[in-house]
Amino acid sequence: MKPKVGFFDFTGCEGCQLTVLNLERELLDLVELMEIVEFREISSDQGEALDIAFVEGSICSSAEIRRLKAIRARSRQLFALGACADTTGINALCTDRTSEQLVGEVYGTAVGHLRYRHPRPLEAFVKVDGRVPGCPIDGREFLAILQSLLIDRMPELPTYAVCAECKLLELPCTFERGVVCLGPLTRAGCDAHCIAEGDRCRGCRGQVDAPRSGPYYRILEEHGLSEEDILNELRIFNLSGEKRG
Amino acid sequence: MDKNEALQIQPRPGQPEKQAGPGAWYLLSRGDIDRLVRSLSVAYEVVGARMKDGRYTLDRISDPAELELEFPPRVHSPKKFLFPNWEKLFRFRLGGKVMLEAEKAAVPRVIFGMHPCDLHAVQVLDDCLFEGEADSTYQAKRQATVLIGVDCEPDAFCFCTSLGTDKIDSGFDLFLHRSNDGYLARVGSARGLRLLRRYLPEIREVDNPQLPPAGKSCQRSIRFPMESLAPVLGEVYDHAIWQEIGERCLGCGSCNLLCPTCYCFNVQDRLDLNLQGGERVRTWDSCQFDQFTRVSGGSDFRPDQTDRQRHRFFRKYKYLWEKHQRTACVGCGRCARECLAGIDNTEVLNSLFAEQVAAEQSPSPGLEYQPQMAELLSVDSLTGREKLFRLRLPEPVSFRPGAFMQVSVFGVGEAPLTIASAPDADGHEIELVVRSKGSLTRALHRLKAGDAIGVRGPFGNGFPVEEFVGRDVLLVAGGIGLVTLRSLLLTILARRGEFGRVMLLYGSHSIDQALFRDDLKRWHLGDQLDCRFAVQHFGSQWGVTGGDITHLFRDLDIVPARAVAAVSGPAVMYRNVNPLLFGLGFTTETIYLNLERHMKCGLGKCGRCQINDITVCQCGPIFPYSQVQHLREAIER
Ligand SMILES: Cc1cc2nc3c(=O)[nH]c(=O)nc-3n(C[C@H](O)[C@H](O)[C@H](O)COP(=O)(O)OP(=O)(O)OC[C@H]3O[C@@H](n4cnc5c(N)ncnc54)[C@H](O)[C@@H]3O)c2cc1C
Ligand code: SF4
Ligand code: SF4
Ligand code: SF4
Ligand code: SF4
Ligand code: FES
Repeated sequence: MKPKVGFFDFTGCEGCQLTVLNLERELLDLVELMEIVEFREISSDQGEALDIAFVEGSICSSAEIRRLKAIRARSRQLFALGACADTTGINALCTDRTSEQLVGEVYGTAVGHLRYRHPRPLEAFVKVDGRVPGCPIDGREFLAILQSLLIDRMPELPTYAVCAECKLLELPCTFERGVVCLGPLTRAGCDAHCIAEGDRCRGCRGQVDAPRSGPYYRILEEHGLSEEDILNELRIFNLSGEKRG
Repeated sequence: MDKNEALQIQPRPGQPEKQAGPGAWYLLSRGDIDRLVRSLSVAYEVVGARMKDGRYTLDRISDPAELELEFPPRVHSPKKFLFPNWEKLFRFRLGGKVMLEAEKAAVPRVIFGMHPCDLHAVQVLDDCLFEGEADSTYQAKRQATVLIGVDCEPDAFCFCTSLGTDKIDSGFDLFLHRSNDGYLARVGSARGLRLLRRYLPEIREVDNPQLPPAGKSCQRSIRFPMESLAPVLGEVYDHAIWQEIGERCLGCGSCNLLCPTCYCFNVQDRLDLNLQGGERVRTWDSCQFDQFTRVSGGSDFRPDQTDRQRHRFFRKYKYLWEKHQRTACVGCGRCARECLAGIDNTEVLNSLFAEQVAAEQSPSPGLEYQPQMAELLSVDSLTGREKLFRLRLPEPVSFRPGAFMQVSVFGVGEAPLTIASAPDADGHEIELVVRSKGSLTRALHRLKAGDAIGVRGPFGNGFPVEEFVGRDVLLVAGGIGLVTLRSLLLTILARRGEFGRVMLLYGSHSIDQALFRDDLKRWHLGDQLDCRFAVQHFGSQWGVTGGDITHLFRDLDIVPARAVAAVSGPAVMYRNVNPLLFGLGFTTETIYLNLERHMKCGLGKCGRCQINDITVCQCGPIFPYSQVQHLREAIER
């Protein structure tokens, strides 16, 4: 029997699902080997049992919590798809305001029925078996994870940081031009995408399991950053407060 | 490609290699080299240094004009061709029978531009990968690769001259030395000679090559013989330096990945998209990475960067040296050059060596007079005249309250200053209170946090705190004399329960000049200390008596039989206070005095602090009265 795979969507930009859809050609090979049962935002709590659920987006309301729990209940394995689901991603940027303020700013004060809560990662509500990190996810990595799951092998993410990939690609370290980079704390796997593009790493893939924050902050301080600057650096992707304090 | 040419494993440096072909010299122009590159390109993949995105890199050369023969050491090492990061070991098919597909034969390749250190690094790889059962994947690449060396200029991170890897006599097919009229090619192997003869038949052999004077100099160096590396490391397995660098290390692995001799690898299966088959590949790994030594169940016998950095050093400079008499470091400087945390092998090794030598040698003459540098952590004004300095010492100290340091400002001089803080377990930080008096103390007052000052010490004999345990303690301080008693008081407060009543009588000129008023008041109100003030210029503040300190003795409710008294202040105070203490019932054994004398050496040598037959710097400055009572020069007489 072919494994049944479902894709679900919560609060996020759907960029990760788009990445999956863009893999059309590569997926053709794999599609034979599985049965994709759901690929829409469906609101029904019911549905058949799934082998693998890929869930995108952060959880922002009680309704979403209920739906997530229902998906969990009928899925053998549940994977967070992308940063919003995994670490809250950029959605966490709004946690400096209260949810009332946010609803007010976005919809005007009149919208009384919106039950909005601060966005949180899947892990805050259900057990998550694994993750596809990144904002958006890396297509090749998604394929490798899917492949592993299809042959019942637990996918492994790199435990080392982006610096390793950056060095292998012989890219000049951004610190040499005085630009702070989150590569030393961030989980590799993107082939140092942003540095290769001339930018710096902003940590979209989340931190490695054992981030060396102490030595890293020391280096930032040597480069003249204050504690507040450091927090601002991390805030973009890594200060959801849910997963990593 | 000379298919049947067996790889000759190169002899160790020092072993002379004299054969017909190798050792010969030929003169080449740059044009000759370009032609050579072009001709070789037919049968070989030609690799060399070229500019790419503003940096040098070893890469395929399609146009000979791109090939740079003089390039800085900052390029990734040729390891990426001989022992690549991604190497297929074999292919397999999934389902049913597993079928092995042999790895294709290695690509014939010529690497132009092997710096001497990188050629030495290849010999380290040979040592390790041909040992026991030879690694045939490496062997295939090694055999199919022609190595052409070029000379280089060390940069600030190179230290090849310390390891003898700045020059090389063998281990290459050809080596190109820059000379006045082109390049002098030195032949290193029969294959090298054959290539020259085949592709550049017209070039001429040179009998007496006029090489420009060799001799590189590196800014970084290992300041001791390389033979001592293993023995030096043998003694420092538990040294604190590993923790020190471990706490700075990011575990990013760059030092390993970029090192031309590091070859530890990971093995993984990569699946074809259709899941029909896949390949087993090896990728570079790093002993600095988290999963490197982890076993199932999660335990890890080398769990942190402290252990991992030690391992890196030991493997490079000890383990492999002992096995192959070759360090697994060639001094290329790549690790330190790329380390964001600034961890530098030469610095670590030199400091370990210097420490061992220092421990063995008798101290150099005059060392006891040489201050060590301490860092000022903070400077705070206490009153208009006194400032409080907190400093971090290079070595931890232990002392009794009452001991002092000799503090230097170079160019101004040195002076004794009491340690104003209590001794603690760590011993790295102390406090001083400095009253601005003359040039030195004024110079001290001009310093700010972050500045360095010279310190020697601690010197002197302080209060025997253990003998005070279980007793009431009466502290009598005048003016800046409080500083000495502060160390004692802080010691007592830290173990408050072990002492009886603690009372402080403190006299100063005015309330503004009283030191540590807020602390004293807090302790007083917290019932930890019974504190009584006397100021000559009377104010209306809490518990303050007008007049001098003797007034405080009037209604003193203390039981001298179970008390000790510690007195610290100007000479005149002793003259007035000591008789009162005796009057209360204190004895020559229960009164302790702090005697200030002019001091220069702190070592009992200079004689400046001598009172009759004793030196205050060693026997004091804290004395039980009984010990100085017979001394006619003691000030209170
Ligand atoms: C054991 C001991 C502990 C001391 N603790 C402190 C302290 O904690 N805080 C503090 O502010 N001061 C302390 N002093 C005094 C301090 O050493 C002098 O104030 C300082 O040396 C003055 O140096 P100067 O160059 O600033 O002044 P100068 O103009 O050289 O001298 C000012 C006064 O200090 C005396 N003096 C100068 N050099 C010395 C010396 N080597 N030893 C003793 N007296 C000297 C001079 O005779 C003069 O009376 C202590 C002195 C001793 C002996
Ligand atoms: S640019 Fe960023 S990822 Fe690359 S080495 Fe520097 S810090 Fe690491
Ligand atoms: S370099 Fe950093 S920010 Fe960019 S994709 Fe990789 S992890 Fe994300
Ligand atoms: S390059 Fe530096 S920070 Fe990175 S693992 Fe090596 S020593 Fe540690
Ligand atoms: S340890 Fe550092 S200096 Fe030594 S060979 Fe490796 S990268 Fe070069
Ligand atoms: S200070 Fe020199 S003998 Fe005491």
